[in-house]
Amino acid sequence: MTIETSTAAPETTAPVEDRALLVVRDLRVAYQSTRMFGRKRGVEVVKGVSFHIGAGETFGLVGESGSGKSTTGRAILRLIPSASGSIEFAGTEVTAFGRRTPLSYRRDVQAVFQDPSMSLNPRQPVSDALLAALKRHGMSSRAERWRVAAEAFDQVGLQRAHLDRYPGELSGGQQQRVAIARALVLKPKLVVCDEAVSALDLSTQSQIINLLCDLQEQTGMSYLFIAHDLGIVRHLSDRVGVMRQGELVEVATPEELFTRAKHPYTRRLLGATPADHPEGRERRREVRAQWARVHALEEELSDPA
Amino acid sequence: MTLRPEPKTSAVAVAKKADGPQSGARRVLKRLSRKPLAIIAALWILFIAFCALNADWLAPYDPLLNNFTPEGILQGPNPAHWLGTDENGRDTLSRLLYGARVALMVGFGSVLVAMVIGVPIGLVLGYRGGWADRIGTRFVDIIDALPGMLVAFAVIAILGRGLPSVMLGIGLIFCMNFARMARAITLAERSKLYVDAARVSGIREIAILFRQVLPNLAGPLVIQGAILTGAAIIIESALSFLGIGLESSVPSWGGLLGAAVRQQLVQPFFAFPPGITILLTVLAFNILGDAISEALAGDSRKRVKRIKRRAVADPSVALTAAATHASRISGVPTEGPADPDHVLEVRGLGVSLYGPGAPVPLVRDVWLGIKKGEVVGLLGESGSGKSMLARSILGLLPPGIGVTTGSILLDGREIAGARERDLRDVRGRKLAAVFQDPMAALSPVHTVGTQLTEVLHAHFKLSRGAARARAAELLDRVGVSNAAKRLNDYPHQFSGGMAQRVAIAMALAANPDLVIADEATSALDVTTQAQVLDLLLDLRDEFGMGILLITHDLGVVAEACDRAVVMYAGEIVETADVTDLFDRPRHPYTAALLASNPNAESESKRLAVIPGRVPLAGQWPDGCHFANRCPFAVEACTAGSVPLIDDVRCIRVDELRLEKVAP
Repeated sequence: MTIETSTAAPETTAPVEDRALLVVRDLRVAYQSTRMFGRKRGVEVVKGVSFHIGAGETFGLVGESGSGKSTTGRAILRLIPSASGSIEFAGTEVTAFGRRTPLSYRRDVQAVFQDPSMSLNPRQPVSDALLAALKRHGMSSRAERWRVAAEAFDQVGLQRAHLDRYPGELSGGQQQRVAIARALVLKPKLVVCDEAVSALDLSTQSQIINLLCDLQEQTGMSYLFIAHDLGIVRHLSDRVGVMRQGELVEVATPEELFTRAKHPYTRRLLGATPADHPEGRERRREVRAQWARVHALEEELSDPA
Repeated sequence: MTLRPEPKTSAVAVAKKADGPQSGARRVLKRLSRKPLAIIAALWILFIAFCALNADWLAPYDPLLNNFTPEGILQGPNPAHWLGTDENGRDTLSRLLYGARVALMVGFGSVLVAMVIGVPIGLVLGYRGGWADRIGTRFVDIIDALPGMLVAFAVIAILGRGLPSVMLGIGLIFCMNFARMARAITLAERSKLYVDAARVSGIREIAILFRQVLPNLAGPLVIQGAILTGAAIIIESALSFLGIGLESSVPSWGGLLGAAVRQQLVQPFFAFPPGITILLTVLAFNILGDAISEALAGDSRKRVKRIKRRAVADPSVALTAAATHASRISGVPTEGPADPDHVLEVRGLGVSLYGPGAPVPLVRDVWLGIKKGEVVGLLGESGSGKSMLARSILGLLPPGIGVTTGSILLDGREIAGARERDLRDVRGRKLAAVFQDPMAALSPVHTVGTQLTEVLHAHFKLSRGAARARAAELLDRVGVSNAAKRLNDYPHQFSGGMAQRVAIAMALAANPDLVIADEATSALDVTTQAQVLDLLLDLRDEFGMGILLITHDLGVVAEACDRAVVMYAGEIVETADVTDLFDRPRHPYTAALLASNPNAESESKRLAVIPGRVPLAGQWPDGCHFANRCPFAVEACTAGSVPLIDDVRCIRVDELRLEKVAP
């Protein structure tokens, strides 16, 4: 498929990708639903997505629920298998790993998920998540593991006393800081943030966004920032990809996206995103009403019944 | 119509947290210790265990010592043999004491066997899923369908009589029970994000299974184990009773009972000691299992007394009214009849949680007026009390929470003290609600048409046909295409956005004067959210009802509201016309919220942040609730309660306005 892109070089030429940390080419992901008698039926939720993320770059991925943005993230994290296409990370073909994922990849690519209360085991002190990861990645000294975990807690603005707490004893913002510390402790090159701030309150949200920015500045890691909130994605991202029904319809810098979006869907998405000021809202409402009429007409035309 | 979604009572959680951190096991033990029956059951089991351990020392005779003299066999209770003797002249008390050993060994042993076989099977099936699970689960079903006793017979027939084969036999009966339970729990846990997070960390599957998932099984395993231990004792008794369990010489309760039945005519008393012991022991295990299960479920089953609304119609108890003696606060008259323009008037409302200690205020000193056709946004973070305010207006406060002061006037009528019966008439006709989860507001077992016509019938006494036609009209109005046909659909056949439209149609069915939309668009995608907001505005234009739009999203306020009310830690901190609010915020909290919202103008990557977090109810600071996070706070801010003056709750409002205006 062709991708509308406003970067000078098309997404698929070599020079850009040589420097890229992650290159996704024509990625397809299908969910298998097996019917009775074993007839397989694949529902393709990601339909040929291509993009790249440079070192130290933040790539935002926006779209509505069901657009396949989270599925793309999960395929990169190897939580679900990809049907076809390639994911190249630091020159290594990720889709060729087979069933087992090398530890080096697990170290380099980390994740922060949406609901921090769900992404931490409620029955373990929060330090366990960090310590287990460190142990698995070869840090054999117990004292060393605790030292590194405590440092990570310092880095994300938690106190050392928080190490022994259970997730239920922490606020949502603190839980998300723990989740970030868990990702950070392995010194990853890429962190997939899947709706990482969506579940947080407004004032907590800005704290976490700032933390993510600061950490990126300190460590130079890249983010794949998946979110439905265009405002946050615009704020954080160097480039933004817009997904719709499994396809990447547009890739652009935030400024381009917000001022001269090319794809009609992007424009629709922007029109629906609540503005940060009431000014001009009557006009926006009118535009949306017009669009709805056009959309209804289109549906009528395409559906003969 | 009553819309009663899951009560989101973040406030109630506060009371629980106040106990301080406590480990799970200790909390469960503490709750167990409050159940007298459980304590008796546990004491009985301990007593049996004590007897079993010390049988050598407690038993007056050797349990195998025969005494075939005529006066030795089949005696009733007497000073030498307290519980009499059996047909071989053996002492019943001694055999009963040694029998406890067998009973507990079989009970615990077979449950252990069942766990060791069943739990790993269940863990693997649940974690792997897919084909392995499908085949494996069928296999488990088949084995589970075999009659338990037959399995035990078969095992004993193959391996011969004796303790190990009895334990194995009974263990096999129970193992699939554990397998199923382990599978169900693993299946639920596997899809949780923390398992994904562990995989991303590179943790081995086996470690995830045993270190992350297994702890979740501990509680249910203990419960099931306790209950099945009792069942195992019964099965062993039954097998021994039938004479195929243990050798008849081995002292077991079932064997004793079996012998008693054979000698029933000669010595009827003989059946009582083993019978009663078996009964009590099995009962004790069952009671203990149930009690543990209840203790683990814990807080969710906590009894909370329902608080009668203690409305006090006298608003002078309210903070601002007492402090200012103003005749109107935020446009709401402090006394006398309601302003005729207002659909809703909330005067000095206070809502509190009644727990074991002193009442914890959740909302206080709320003054709010909504005009006909006006959309008022109620903006706040979690813990601000905005949902509690909405619930108190709707009369849907959760148990244990009640209105303490102030009044709520709907079309001039007091509803804060109203009884449930009177509220029923008000809800729907005058007041309707749309909640975050439309599925919670719609019954899953009835078609949308049935639910809509029911409402129409209840309020307008329309005939069936007329109600159905009106229902189709309503659905069409809220933008459900092909409305007449979709009346026959069930709620799950609608997408999230469409279901919310149906919920709006339900809310509008009785033509209410006021609609409370509590985070009604928060779960929707932006395009759907915009459509639903536009729909609410269109309906407002058409029917002229007032709307209270409760949200945590500044954008929703900017897009849809005429006026905005900002809440923080249970209090209204600012009320303003929406444009003024965004252009000239007057309360430092409002200003900080606006600044922390990422927007186009923000030049730098760093956002303004509000340090700290919203204080929990019960931990509100003295004076201004925001003072400890406010950059402008001075000593006076914490001196005393701050009244709502000129729509702002800030003692420095006049000085700060100057600071804001200065470029």
